[in-house]
Amino acid sequence: MSGKCEGEEIRAIEEINERIKRGDAAVLTAEEMIKLAESSGIEVAAKEVDVVTSGTFGAMCSSGVFLNFGHADPPIKMTKCWLNDVPVYKGMAAVDGYLGATALSETRGFDYGGGHVIEDLVSEKEIDLRAESYGTDCYPRVDIETTIAIDDLNQAILVNPRNCYQAYDAATNSTDRVLYTYMGTLLPNYGNVTFSGAGQLNPLCKDRNYDTIGIGTRIFLGGGIGYVIGEGTQHSPQGGFGTLMVRGDLKKMNSRYLRGASFYRYGVTLYVGVGIPIPIINERVAASAASRDENILVNIRDYGVPVRPDRRPVVKRVSYAELRSGKVLINEKDVPSSSLSSYQIATEIAEVIKKWILEGTFFLTKSVEPLPRQREFKPLLVRKRELLVLDVMKRIVFTASPSDNVEAAAKKIIEKGIDHLPIVDEESKLIGIVTSWDVAKAIAKEKRRLNEIMTRRVITAKVDESIDVVVRRMSQHNISGVPVVDETNHIVGILTTDDISRKLVGGRPK
Amino acid sequence: MKLKLIYSPDVVEKPILAEIILKTGVPMNILEAKVNAQKGELVVSVPASGKQLEDIIDMLEKAGVKTRIFAKILEIDMGRCTSCGACISPCPTRALMFKPDWTIEFNEERCVACRVCVNACPVRAITVP
Repeated sequence: MSGKCEGEEIRAIEEINERIKRGDAAVLTAEEMIKLAESSGIEVAAKEVDVVTSGTFGAMCSSGVFLNFGHADPPIKMTKCWLNDVPVYKGMAAVDGYLGATALSETRGFDYGGGHVIEDLVSEKEIDLRAESYGTDCYPRVDIETTIAIDDLNQAILVNPRNCYQAYDAATNSTDRVLYTYMGTLLPNYGNVTFSGAGQLNPLCKDRNYDTIGIGTRIFLGGGIGYVIGEGTQHSPQGGFGTLMVRGDLKKMNSRYLRGASFYRYGVTLYVGVGIPIPIINERVAASAASRDENILVNIRDYGVPVRPDRRPVVKRVSYAELRSGKVLINEKDVPSSSLSSYQIATEIAEVIKKWILEGTFFLTKSVEPLPRQREFKPLLVRKRELLVLDVMKRIVFTASPSDNVEAAAKKIIEKGIDHLPIVDEESKLIGIVTSWDVAKAIAKEKRRLNEIMTRRVITAKVDESIDVVVRRMSQHNISGVPVVDETNHIVGILTTDDISRKLVGGRPK
Repeated sequence: MKLKLIYSPDVVEKPILAEIILKTGVPMNILEAKVNAQKGELVVSVPASGKQLEDIIDMLEKAGVKTRIFAKILEIDMGRCTSCGACISPCPTRALMFKPDWTIEFNEERCVACRVCVNACPVRAITVP
């Protein structure tokens, strides 16, 4: 034993920078550090290694770029602006704008957006600029159309409010249809698992106590140099879900590490490459830098339940090692798993920083302020009363039993003026449904009993569900009504598109 | 080997493929079918090679079906691919996988041209020619 406690300083950042200058700093990538700690132990690794480099490359939606276009003659106070038909946020000075990664093209939909414009800028492509204004005494021009390239801009500064998620919950799908989500394509009936994050290469996992990363930390960002400017939005360190806000000069970046991307039927985003060198200042940092996929745990959540992210049911808790193995056991079945972020490019980023440091062109920084270690991640409360199923549903429900004949059902439908007839068993539990269309078809095809024609897999709703959720469900299944059931599958009401349109004619409740 | 079969209107109703399968005993698998009153187009996987494959193509052509050999089902632009893996787990036939260096490998033999990967790829690096 060294007798040192794990937080005791082994080396200062200044000493490391001296060694970088002399060209004798010991720099390992995260993968190399893991191997060294495995063969020689943390204590030895902490003594021998000055810096461990990390990296991650994945979809980071909270990304964007501040742009300054310069003034035209006559000048314009741009109030609306588009780059390649993608809207730029213009709630700031005349020719400043912010282009967000997820902004959609107004002409190309999900195929092109802010992330793609950023990639095209970095690739030095020509971009169509269009802007409008109302005209003022000092800025008389009311519209402008021109083309720009990155070199024409005074500034193009990537400022990403949330990057580099320490870890991210994985996704699966319990429903019987394919879901297209920001976690990619999720096949029905737990058909696959997708996950994101570099795990054992992730910068924040490599310094999980935030001993070295903080405001002012110099980093690799998009192939160039960037800086951490603070905690990221939704920074949630207690659960191991820290995030970073970062900035860097877009003009010095590289499209290999900044990629516009489209998630099918979801939207567009930007893949961002981030890497951070971790100075091994003490044994605690060394232990963190040597952490492995096996010890980084996340939940697999069911995206089939359309609730807020932290309430999506947890199917299983797994390690990044399990996720990366290509299969995860769910309900005694091997389910294929694959990533959405690139482990290969994450590795490459760690290698690039290592090279920069060894060449003596990248020096480490001491942070001005550490990242917060405590943060509450609050949900958004809906304080305005929303329309729920119980506000709209009919409470008197006419039902039939499976042995009833078709004629009796037809009579009931006409007499009661309804289109949907739920079928219940002896205990009044819902077991099927027939519609007026089913009955007409039954008569045409000479079927006699309802159990011959009823739909057995009934799409239902619960009283406390939002109308918006149920309307989306009805349109997905192309149906015009759903029985409302309680936990024991007893019918408590019925909700039809007629009920909804009638209710909405008078407007939503205040 | 994968073949595209183009049926003209006068042969579209005949069970040509079924007859050839019965005759040759080669279990051909239909990967894709577009059939209407005017014409039909099938993509079939033919587990045969050499003389046997030539015979099958010959029989099809004689029966009035135009054949085209599918050189490539999928094209992956490796310059655009980021090796993220988003195409791997949605693939129903495990035709896409990681190599040991975490780049993507495509196994043409397993592919059934379902196109799930085309939409799953965030950087649109996969196309069906």
